[in-house]
Order: sequence, then structure tokens, then C-alpha cells
Amino acid sequence: MFKEFKSIFNLNWIYFFILLIIFWIGEINLYSAAGGSLDPWASNQLIRFLFFLPLFFLVIMLEPKFIFNFAEIFLILVLIGLITTLIFGYTGMGATRWIKIAGFNLQVSEFTKIALVIFMAKYFHKLNAEKTIGLFKSILPLVVSIIFFILVAIQPDLGTAVIILALGLVVIFYAGIKLIYPLLSLGVIISISPILWSLLKPYQQNRIQIFLNPDLDPLGKGYHIIQSKIAIGSGGLKGNGFLEGSQSSLDFLPEKETDFVFAIFSEQFGFTGSMLLISLFFIMFLIPVLKTYKLTQVFNKIILFVLSFKIFFEFLINISMTIGILPVVGVALPFMSYGGSSLLSNLIICALLINFMSINEKKRMFS
Amino acid sequence: MEKNKTSEDSIKILNRRSFIIIILGTILSFIVSLRLFSLQVINFNFYKKKSVENKLSVKLTPPIRGDIYDSKKNLLAGSSSLYEFVVFKNLSKDHFQEVKKLNDLIKLNLNLDETLKNLKKYNEYTGFSLSRASWEQIVKFEKNKFLFNSIKIIESKKRYYPYHNFSQIIGYMGQPTQSSELYSKGVFHLEKSYEKYLRGTPGKIFSEVNSRGKTIREISIEKSIKGNDLNLTLDLSLQNYAQSQLPLDKKGSIVVISVLDGSILSMNSNPTFDAQIFEDRENNKIKDLLSDDNKPLFNRAFSGFYPPGSVFKPIPALVGLQNKLINPQKEVICKGHSSLGDRNYYCWKKEGHGKVNLKKAIKESCDVYFYELAKKINIDDIASLSGNLGLNKEYDIGLSNIGRGLVPSKKWKKAFLEESWYQGETLITCIGQGYNQTSPLQLATLYSAILNGGKYPIPKLDKNVPTRFTGRSLNSEHRKIILKSLNAVVQEPRGTAYKLSISNPEFVKIGGKTGTSQVIRIKESEREDDKYKSKKIEERFKDHSVFVGYAPYDKPKYIASVIIENGGSGSAVAAPIAHKILDFAFKNNV
Repeated sequence: MFKEFKSIFNLNWIYFFILLIIFWIGEINLYSAAGGSLDPWASNQLIRFLFFLPLFFLVIMLEPKFIFNFAEIFLILVLIGLITTLIFGYTGMGATRWIKIAGFNLQVSEFTKIALVIFMAKYFHKLNAEKTIGLFKSILPLVVSIIFFILVAIQPDLGTAVIILALGLVVIFYAGIKLIYPLLSLGVIISISPILWSLLKPYQQNRIQIFLNPDLDPLGKGYHIIQSKIAIGSGGLKGNGFLEGSQSSLDFLPEKETDFVFAIFSEQFGFTGSMLLISLFFIMFLIPVLKTYKLTQVFNKIILFVLSFKIFFEFLINISMTIGILPVVGVALPFMSYGGSSLLSNLIICALLINFMSINEKKRMFS
Repeated sequence: MEKNKTSEDSIKILNRRSFIIIILGTILSFIVSLRLFSLQVINFNFYKKKSVENKLSVKLTPPIRGDIYDSKKNLLAGSSSLYEFVVFKNLSKDHFQEVKKLNDLIKLNLNLDETLKNLKKYNEYTGFSLSRASWEQIVKFEKNKFLFNSIKIIESKKRYYPYHNFSQIIGYMGQPTQSSELYSKGVFHLEKSYEKYLRGTPGKIFSEVNSRGKTIREISIEKSIKGNDLNLTLDLSLQNYAQSQLPLDKKGSIVVISVLDGSILSMNSNPTFDAQIFEDRENNKIKDLLSDDNKPLFNRAFSGFYPPGSVFKPIPALVGLQNKLINPQKEVICKGHSSLGDRNYYCWKKEGHGKVNLKKAIKESCDVYFYELAKKINIDDIASLSGNLGLNKEYDIGLSNIGRGLVPSKKWKKAFLEESWYQGETLITCIGQGYNQTSPLQLATLYSAILNGGKYPIPKLDKNVPTRFTGRSLNSEHRKIILKSLNAVVQEPRGTAYKLSISNPEFVKIGGKTGTSQVIRIKESEREDDKYKSKKIEERFKDHSVFVGYAPYDKPKYIASVIIENGGSGSAVAAPIAHKILDFAFKNNV
């Protein structure tokens, strides 16, 4: 089940170091979001991080083979978790997203993303890597993705659901589906979008309308976007400086510790800081991706590429939301938003990435 | 896990796909970066401004209004402290229960239903003023302070007018009418026209607020700056004395101005009102005042326009002299009437004045002399000289409803009545009747212009306004003749106001001119007759009594213009009042 201990010396410590830097920026940011106080967010998040760290290294030391073998089991576990959430879940802010496990409020949908990618990686690996994949072979992963999308969307948690579906589609695309199908389905989606629109809950429709025009409701739903843009815009080129973000410290920004945490950061550190943060996430995305070019095993390639993409993708979606180029759908900023499930699932993903980056296919094949 | 024999081609496809996704991710990052650049660099100033507005709340603190003083630095309008019970809705949920409690504890006599209705409409963070708080009420409140979380005693400033005799000049303040106005402002007379000068600059308390408007900390305080003090030319003692001389049962007005610089020394009108009732919000008194048929808000000194009567006669005399229509020595025979066409124009003295020259005509106020003169006069010359000597003019001295009056001309009649001028109307105009309309202030100014020889100081109320002269110089010989005649009115036997010299020989010696201004046409021959019995005539149809006088007669310093509505003849009523006031002004050196 576990690798030999000495393999810990072959790990990609640069990646881990970048992860620590981003987490530390997140900590500083939560500290300033509380107006220069560890309480209530920064200290809690740090305790969680330290608490999760053993698990993080445990995952790093897992044999890739173990992960490969248990792919379906993981998927069934999250399926049960999601159904349990829907039935027994704990309701907060109009949505049922959490279940209580051993005293923790766990958001199963976060872990669905990992399990789905692992499951699909195994599926395409097993297809024996045909040159290109036809529609028929893509149907199973597509259906699985859509099932999970629906299970999460009815919580309702549209943001996470969309990410799940997007990851499923990215896996299918990356695995080599004939280009005609994604293009075709894009056309279909556009043509049936009015029907999709009518399926959305009124508050979701509302959010999209307000995204398109925040001034429709400057004190209500549009308030988030307007205030967030004010906070970010007022940061300017160099930012207002550490702890000098007036908008964030003065409670003008709702959900500033979760979905809008980037606004806090950007107000303090400005355009320069934002560019630095984007660069850090981009480098963090590229390190595992570059490794995929050296690998030939489809399972390894998909795990490394898609999971690395997942973190970068969520990062981009989140800041696009805060600067008003995407509707507010509730996607956390990896390692920076306050919240245990998001932190844990992203730590597990990073552990998997570090784990798979250390694979030397010449020495250790799946045999 | 079995080893897959992945073909090289499929690996290539995966790598190619990976490249596409990286490109897409890069493009997306680029879009995000561009957007950030637009927000933080290009539109930085816009968002910075918004963020400052978000963060700062500015609370204005009302400034103290400038004081108003008379010419001797006596306070006429100032500010005094006022305490009020104020409810702040945001301080307690039970604020209305507390209001009820307060109403019971301290007998405020509030209309609770109405208060509740108003309270509901009111903003949470600005307090709602319940009522004035007297000292006893404050003491009682302080003892029970713990009962009231949402009610506070707030100090504010109110206007304070120690002498109500000035209300018709200083005016009063009004409550804010728009939500953008934070405090009361002047709405009448000097309080209105000097609003900007008196108001001062509000102080500002800048504080950082959170999104719910709650103050987190005060950042800076700019103190309010008191408004400028206004010094008037008025004299407190003279104003009060003149008011006491106005008969209480008659409407009337007295204006005293300085011959030397045009300063208005006093300006009274009866009936009057007390501006303090507006400040004290005594609604019943305000209601009574506004519905009073005698119009106490109406200052007759500058808003009241009357035919000047014989007081006007120096003007046709001067026109006659200037245009060489008369020789001052040449006598006209007055038989009690003069005829023009088939109409007779009567002198007030039925039996006639006999032989009359210019001096006698003014001294004894002979109408026939002026009728004969008027037959030769062009009415436009009268209008033009009147304009030069301060009539037919609106003075810009900060008073509300100051009128212009009228001295008729051919052009005016054509424009307003669409009729041409009749010579008969010139006859009536020359004895100050007909279309003539002048205010007491204008008449005072007219005499100031004559005494000053044509170039006269523009009347003023603001002591800081430099004296400015206007008008055209008169021939000094003509001026001398008129002055001699006006002096004779009081100083020589048979003068219409000679009685003044006899009854009060100790008073300052004055010159002047009596006038009796007709309200309706009664028998011409009865005007200015001391035996004129008016009991038969309804009060409101009685003549107005007019007198304009100056003192001392040899070196004029003060002019008093008096009108008593429906008072009767000028010599009997207005002249003695004017004499007393001129004597007061002279003896007290106002």
C-alpha cells in the first residue's frame, strides 16, 4: 500500500515549497481580513492545515497502484457521501452541502472531484489507449460526470457542480476524444441553453442576470460584485499595503473570508501582488504538467494533468468571479479561501501530484 | 495493474491536447490579468473615489450664525442654546415605549399617535426631535436617565431676537424645507438676503463607517466657523422710541434717515410682529399672525405705497424753476379753484389764498398755484426729475417685498393703461395725487436728495456698505428757494405746520412739508382744513396723514418721514410725531 520510506527524498520539494508559499499568503490574507487578527479565521485555518499535514504525507507515500486499484471504491464512497448529504445533510445558507463526520462538517462534493478524476483516469487507461476515442467509449465517463453534476447541483451547489462536470469533460478531452464531439456538443448546449435557463432555480437565474448587470440590485445580489470591484480597483498598482485594505476591514465586502478572499488580497497588494499570485498558481500548474510529457502511462498522465489543472482552473474561476467577468457561483480560491473541506481536498490533490511526479516509469511500471 | 502497451501515437495525442489546454489556460489568465489591469490601473481613480465614499461618512455640524447689531453694537439678533429631547431609533428596539414613558414622566403633552407615525418615517441614525427641554425637565430626565436608552438631550442653537421692533427689518428664519438642507435658514428680510453672509461654514466630522453605517472611529473634525456679524445703521433707542410714537390703533410708518450718508436710522411700521414666535415654533401665534387682516408682516415703510399728497410739491416747483416756467417772485391769485377746460380744480382752502408766490405756495400748501404751474408742465419732466431724486426706484438694501412705486409718465400710461395723457392728470399729479405712489422710505430719500442738492447718498441699512451718491445736481439757487419755503412751513406764521413751533418751542427747529393723501375723493375744499370733521366718514376712507421733516432746519442732519393711514390731515397727526422723533434723534445724537 505504501512506498518505501526512502522515496521521500526523491519528492518534488519545489512544488511543496510553492504550495507552502501560497498557503502562507492565504494565512496572511485571512489575518488581514479579520482586521489584523488571527481570530477567527487565520488561526483556525492553520490548525486545520497542521492537522491535515500527516494525512498529506500519507497520501504522498501511497503506492500509485493502490490508488489505481481502488478508483471505483473511491467513487462509490463519494456517491454514498453525496446521497447521505442530500438526506441527512446539514443545511446552511439555503443549501444542503455538509455532513457531519467525526465532528467535522464535511463537504463531500469537494472530494467528488478527486474521485471522479481518478475513476476516469483508470477508465481511459484501461481503454488501452486507442489512437482517438470515439463517442461510444466516452459515454460511460460522461454519464458518470453528469450523475455527479446533478447530485451536487440539486444541493444546490451550482459552482461545485459545474467544476465537476468541467473536470469530467476535460478528462475526456485530454484522453483524446475526436475533436468533432466536443465541438458538436458545444453547438447543442448553445442551442438548448434557453431550456437549461428555465431549469435553473430563480436565485441562480437571478445571479446570472445580476452578473450581467450588477446595478440591477446594487444593495442586494449585485452588492457582492460591486463591492468586490471597488475593493480590487482601489488597490491600484501597488496596493494599499498590508492591513490597509479599508473595504475589507470595514465589512463592506460580504463573504470576504471565503469566495471573495481575493478582493482582500488584491486591495492590499494591488495589481503587482495579483500578478505575482497568478504567476505562482501558473507555475504550480505547470510543474506537474511538464512532468506528464515525460510519462507514457495514461493513468499517470491524466492524474497529473487534470488534477493540476483543477487547482489552476478553480483559481481562475474564483478571481474571474471577484472581478466580475464570471457570475458569482461559489467556487473557493484554493489554499486561500477559509474552509476545511476545500483545504483538505486541495491538500490531497497536491499530495497526489507530488506522489505521481516522483514516478519513474523506467524503474517502476505498473507491473 | 497491468502494463499498457500504449502506442506512441496516443501519447502524442495526449501531449497535443495538454498543449491546447495550457494555451487555453494561458489565454484565460491573460484575460484575467487584463481585467485586473483595467480595474486597478486604468480605472484606479474611479474605484479609489468609490472606496473613499464607502468608507467615510461626513457629518455636518451646524455653524453658529452671525449676530446682527445696531450702529452702537447693541445685539438685535443672536444665537442662544436650545435643548431638545431627541429619539434615536437605532439605540433601542423599545424606543417608542421609552417615548411613552418619557411623556408620562415629564409632562411633554405629545400627540403619541402622530409621534409614532412620524417616528416610523424617520431615518434610523438621525435623531427625531420630540420636544423642547426646559431646565426642570432636563433635571428630571437626568435623574431617570437609566430608563431611556434611545432618548438623549441634544443641544442646538436657535435664533434669538431681543427686540421685536426690528422683526420687520431683520425678518426671521425658516425650518429646512428640503432634505438636503440641514438646518434652518433666513427666509425673510435681512435674514434671507444676508443668508450666505450670516450663515457661516458648517463643521465636518469625518468618520470611518462600516457597511451598516456604524461609526468605527472618528478620523478628523473640521470645526464649524461662525458666520459674519452684520452691523446695521439702525439705532436701537430711536427705533424703539419711534415705535412708541406710532398710534396703536392706526396703521402707519416712520422712517428716519441720515441726510449725510443715507443711513437708515429707524424704520417702523404698525402693526408689527415678533420674529421670535417663528424660532420658538409657536404655531398658534404664527397662525394668528398669518391670518391677521391688518397684515403685521407687511412693512409699510418700504412696502406700503401711498399718494404722497402735498409732500410732492417741491418736485413740480423744481421743474418749474429749471424750465423757467415760473418766476419765484411772481404771484398767482388763488380764489380757491382753478379751471381747465370745463372742469374746476379746487384748492383745499375754499376761500382761496389770495396772492401767492412760490414760497407762500409751499408754505401754505396752495393747490391753485401748482395747478397753474401744472398747466405749463410736461408730465415727463416730473417723472424724470422724480427719478433723479429717488422716487420710482427700488432700493437694493436686502429687504423683502421692497416696492418700486410710481410717478406717472406718458410712456407709462400708454404702456399700462393704453391711453394717452390728459393735461388734467398733470394737475392732480403735481399736488401728489392721481397715479402717484410713494413709500415713506422713498419720501425720506426724496427730501434727502433735495437737501443734498440733487446728488444724494443711496439709502443703506448695512453699516459696512460705503456711502455712495447718485442723482444729478440741482441748481443751488433753486435748492435755496425750496429750502427756504420748506423751513417757512414750520417756522413762519401761516405755515401749515407752524403750530409745531408754538406748541413745542424747546424742540429742535425743523423744516418740512405736510401732506394729506386722499384715499377717495371727498370734497376737495375740505382737505387739510384743521376743522375737517371726519366722523361722518368711514374710518377706512379717511385721508392718510403725511409729513416729511428734517432737523435742524439750518443744517439738516436727520429726515423723518411719517405716514399715519386714515389719520386725517398731515399737519394735525403726522407732523407732531415727526417733530418729536427728530427732536429725539437730534438730542440723542443717534
